[in-house]
Amino acid sequence: MNTSLKILLIEDDAIEVMKFNRAVSSLNMSHKMVNADNGEEALKILEQKDRLPNIILLDLNMPKINGIEFLSILKKDPDLRHIPTVILSTSNNQKDLLECYKIGVAGYVLKPLKYEEYVSKIDKLLSYWSINQLITL
Amino acid sequence: MSQHEVEILKRALARERSARKQAEEILEKKSEELYLLNQKNKKAKDQLEALLKVKNSELNGFYENLVDPYIMMDLSGNAIKMNKAAEKLLAYNLSDGVLNLMKLTLPEDLDYVSNSFKILSDTGKISDFEIKIKTNASEIKLVQVNASIIYDGNNQPIAAQGILRDITLNKLYEKRLEAEKQKYSSIIANMNLGLLEVDNDDKILFVNQSFEEMCGYSSKELIGKVASSIFLREEYKEKLAIEHEKRKEGSSNSYEIQVMTKTDEIRYWLISGAPNYNLNGEITGSIGIHLDITNLKKLEKQKEELLEELAKSNESLQEYAHIVSHDLKSPLRSINALISWIKEDNLGNLDEISNQNILMIEKTLEKMELLISDVLEYSRVGADLHLDQKVNINDLLTELLQVIYVPENIHVSVENNLPIILGDKVKLEQLFQNLLSNAVKFSNKEIGEIKVGCVDVGTHFQFSVSDNGMGIEKQYFDKIFKIFQSLHKRKDSSGIGLSIVKKIVELHHGSIWLESKVGEGTIFYFTVKK
Repeated sequence: MNTSLKILLIEDDAIEVMKFNRAVSSLNMSHKMVNADNGEEALKILEQKDRLPNIILLDLNMPKINGIEFLSILKKDPDLRHIPTVILSTSNNQKDLLECYKIGVAGYVLKPLKYEEYVSKIDKLLSYWSINQLITL
Repeated sequence: MSQHEVEILKRALARERSARKQAEEILEKKSEELYLLNQKNKKAKDQLEALLKVKNSELNGFYENLVDPYIMMDLSGNAIKMNKAAEKLLAYNLSDGVLNLMKLTLPEDLDYVSNSFKILSDTGKISDFEIKIKTNASEIKLVQVNASIIYDGNNQPIAAQGILRDITLNKLYEKRLEAEKQKYSSIIANMNLGLLEVDNDDKILFVNQSFEEMCGYSSKELIGKVASSIFLREEYKEKLAIEHEKRKEGSSNSYEIQVMTKTDEIRYWLISGAPNYNLNGEITGSIGIHLDITNLKKLEKQKEELLEELAKSNESLQEYAHIVSHDLKSPLRSINALISWIKEDNLGNLDEISNQNILMIEKTLEKMELLISDVLEYSRVGADLHLDQKVNINDLLTELLQVIYVPENIHVSVENNLPIILGDKVKLEQLFQNLLSNAVKFSNKEIGEIKVGCVDVGTHFQFSVSDNGMGIEKQYFDKIFKIFQSLHKRKDSSGIGLSIVKKIVELHHGSIWLESKVGEGTIFYFTVKK
């Protein structure tokens, strides 16, 4: 039996959030999902140190604090930097990729056009992290 | 006559005799003395004459051996005596006959010569008298004469003697030197470059007119002042001091410096400085040539700014292309997801037409996504270019053919020994990929043939990609390389592929063209600089 993950999805697009939720439920996964519309909101959620997520899924194109800025803040915080963060992005811009891996990400997944492909990618992603030993505080 | 008388007479006679004898003796003695004296005088005279002779010959030797020409003449100007140097100067030998020195002078100098001769005879001598003479060999020479009159025992002039100096060459050198000086003075005065001469304490010794114009100060205002304190602001004084130190070590150099003119205008000068030496080889200061490069400097700055702006705008264009393409793709993804859900949620409830329409929506979305991706790719062709990679085209094609989808009925043959070229590997890959997938895409024969070849055409390699596909009508040969010009409305074609190919070829300093016959096939040729 796979572990149930506590996932923080940082995504401003409502349909993207719907897509993620629908994919997770259609996959019959028992993960617990929290959504933040933007980086600021995510940082607020992450202030509750007793309820930190096991994994963060981060969209790069966001208003206010953008994904890379958020990632930098996260990786500088001694209490948060250990949380594996996977980028979900439409951008395959080499500059963005390099920047993200430099700062330190646990993965970089391109959002595909087709919903079916998307479901398949989310399935693999979450299955992978489910079999990993994760830190719970 | 008495005896007494006789006696008296006898005694008188005897006295007379004795007196005469005495007188004779005295006479004899005197005459002997005289003889001796005479002898002595004669000897002295002989000695004197001998001495005179010696002195004369010594003097003769002196004149003979004098390096400078020596001439003695009588009062009518006929040469009496000349030394070797004089003979050489005048190209004349006294043994050749009488030479009147006046004949050597030039007609136009006649008055000048007679005046000088008058000075000589009035005062007894003449010094540093310069005169042009025409020698016996018809050469014109300029000589300097120092002459004096020779007097006899009665203080009557009997002759004149003079020492000459041939100053023809000296004069020539002097003239040339003067001419050179004039030449350089006029260059310095008229050149557009400012000239500044300073001493070792940076005090101004000389400026030319151009320098005055450059800085706005007059020569009077500048001379004696310390140059750096007039023109330089504090921060540049240090720089100048360093340059001055170099100068003191004797090296010349060029440097740029910012200065303030009299009107407080900031100008840029290019200064070429060199140390200035005195006759003893000691450095007495420096000379600087100044060129006002303010306008050049401004242009340079403008260029830099433009390049910077260009780089920035290029970068923001790239960013823009990325953002726009992703912002455009997001709604497509959302539509796709929503359509899928409609399909899923109404499984079995939708009629055939609705299902077909949904399929068409999905195809349209795919096409739109491809279009956006290709536009992004096109905008990226020029970015991150690394044209200095050694790319083995054989290896590149082998790798590429493993990635490209080639149906079984299409045969791709690649010529052996394709070259290694200098270029950007990623872009070259893209180039071949686009051409090969086009060839695959437009194959319409039962058995497709695609060939890749290359020939060396001197400065470039010329590659060819040929197929036996549907071919292209001649009127479209140019059009197909233009962006968004797709000849075929296909879901897998955005019309950008060949525009990207063309751009990549041009980035490799080559060109691209094609030969084609409708129904028979197409050959694309492109060149890449070696």
